[in-house]
Amino acid sequence: MQRLALVGLAKNTGKTETLAAILRELAKRDTPVGVTSIGRDGEAHDVIDTRIEKPRIVLERGSLVASTDALVRASGLTHERLARTGMRTPLGEVVIARLAERGAVEVAGPSTAEDLREVSDAMLSYGAEKVLIDGSIDRRAASSPAVADGLVMATGAVLSEEIEAVVAATKDAVDLVRLPVVGGAPASASTDGSEEIMLGRSLVLSAEPAEIAALLQEHPSASTFNVEGALSERFLEGLLTARSERAGRELRIVVGDPTKVFLTRRGPDWYRRQGLVIEVLQMIRLQAITVNPTAPQSHRFDSGQLRELIAAAVGDIPVLDVLDPDYLALAK
Amino acid sequence: MQPKQSGAPGRGVDLERVKPYADHLNDGIVQFSFTLPVPYGLAARKAAQELARKMGFEHPEVVHYQGLTEGYTYFVMFGECTETVDYATLSDEGFEIEYMSEDEIEAFASERIGRPIVIVGAATGTDTHSVGIDAMLNLKGFHGHHGLEGYRAFETHNLGSQVSNSVLVARAIELDADAILVSQTVTQQNLHINNLTELVEIVEAEGQRRRMILTCGGPRVSNELAKELGYDAGFSKGTYPYHVASFIVRELAARTAAA
Repeated sequence: MQRLALVGLAKNTGKTETLAAILRELAKRDTPVGVTSIGRDGEAHDVIDTRIEKPRIVLERGSLVASTDALVRASGLTHERLARTGMRTPLGEVVIARLAERGAVEVAGPSTAEDLREVSDAMLSYGAEKVLIDGSIDRRAASSPAVADGLVMATGAVLSEEIEAVVAATKDAVDLVRLPVVGGAPASASTDGSEEIMLGRSLVLSAEPAEIAALLQEHPSASTFNVEGALSERFLEGLLTARSERAGRELRIVVGDPTKVFLTRRGPDWYRRQGLVIEVLQMIRLQAITVNPTAPQSHRFDSGQLRELIAAAVGDIPVLDVLDPDYLALAK
Repeated sequence: MQPKQSGAPGRGVDLERVKPYADHLNDGIVQFSFTLPVPYGLAARKAAQELARKMGFEHPEVVHYQGLTEGYTYFVMFGECTETVDYATLSDEGFEIEYMSEDEIEAFASERIGRPIVIVGAATGTDTHSVGIDAMLNLKGFHGHHGLEGYRAFETHNLGSQVSNSVLVARAIELDADAILVSQTVTQQNLHINNLTELVEIVEAEGQRRRMILTCGGPRVSNELAKELGYDAGFSKGTYPYHVASFIVRELAARTAAA
């Protein structure tokens, strides 16, 4: 697994602490790393709530980084600039540099998924064995299979004051990431008389319930809808509303990968129970979940309890708190 | 993106150690105000002075104070700031935009782009405030600067307020938009933030992210926040339509050149 993405479910779920922990472990093994971020990481204070202090990103000598020119220079570290990328961000142009000494650097890489993949591959070609791609806020684009080979998800107390709600939101996010890959024989017209339909983008993004009902009426034997771009909750809700047109049919909705599915109110499991099964062409490999049991300026949960509850809800994925003594002992 | 760097720095200013200016250079004097939840009176006045001292101000003075309502007092203070800031390195950061006048923007767009630049704007999510987006897009504009609608270079579509992200993106794709402008009041609540990031992610999922310019505006939107949210630029207070217009034409020209 060469390219690992780190994605948080919200701000302050401990994504950067997780990145720091992974970096420490790779440093112990002398693995050459490359680091970039779809947002901005390693800043001293939170951009929205400046009372919150953020962890720094410390890179070993020889590490590669894809960040803006100004931020690499502001680190004060001796470095060699290997490439300018021409990728423009609100904080300047992204460059690829190799650090000639160990130290903290603020990382703000390219803003688009395609560009992230490009700089990641460039860092691999310059000698990185692992590239770590940090997400930003709750953005999932970095975890797309088009960008990364695997994902570490960060969750935490910041999601809710109720521990059960944190667990439920985390489970929904994990279900989304682990949406099943389209399985078995495609339900094609030739085998059982059911149809597979490719939907127009504008329909999936913005259709009114009446248009969705009309679509179902038009294709009474459709069982699979293929969606090219984003699948909106609005479309799923439209399918649910058109109860009579659907006439008890179970519908399969196929999207490119989990980052193209946008659910805010309900998780995929809930839709499955209503007869709407979401599947993907490409899956995301979820490697681990990290928890931050503390919500800054607010409440905290017991780390062990939160980890146990999440582990019980999501099944066979390691759930870690990188700042907990248990983990630190393990990492030693 | 703030309108920065208009004119040269003042004479005799040490840009690596800048202090607030009141009566003379480097006096560090700051005027500030706050409210304390205590009843109006001498004790309140002393409390305000004590608090200002704890904030790090030297020689804090209460220049005005008044009862707001039962149990609350409002203070206007003076104090000397002892800290300095390194402007020299800060001004070097970020993506410097040279702002152009309306005429310059029109000329630049007709030369470098040569077709109407399609812009779709909205106040998204639950935000009912369309003031910001109206000021940037509508002909009327504000403070004597008319909005993008008034430029020959732009074809604008203002979708209004409370527009859902998926509908906004659908319209932008239909119209083959070059840029999406959204305004949103950002608070510490994750709700607003999540709504802004969702728009970027939907554009990404639609495979349009490299092509469409995304900008966001709101009272607390800085370049740093814009970067975290995934936008190409962020505009906050003090932004006029020609700032947004300058950014869009330059960015579009750069992308066209790179493509």
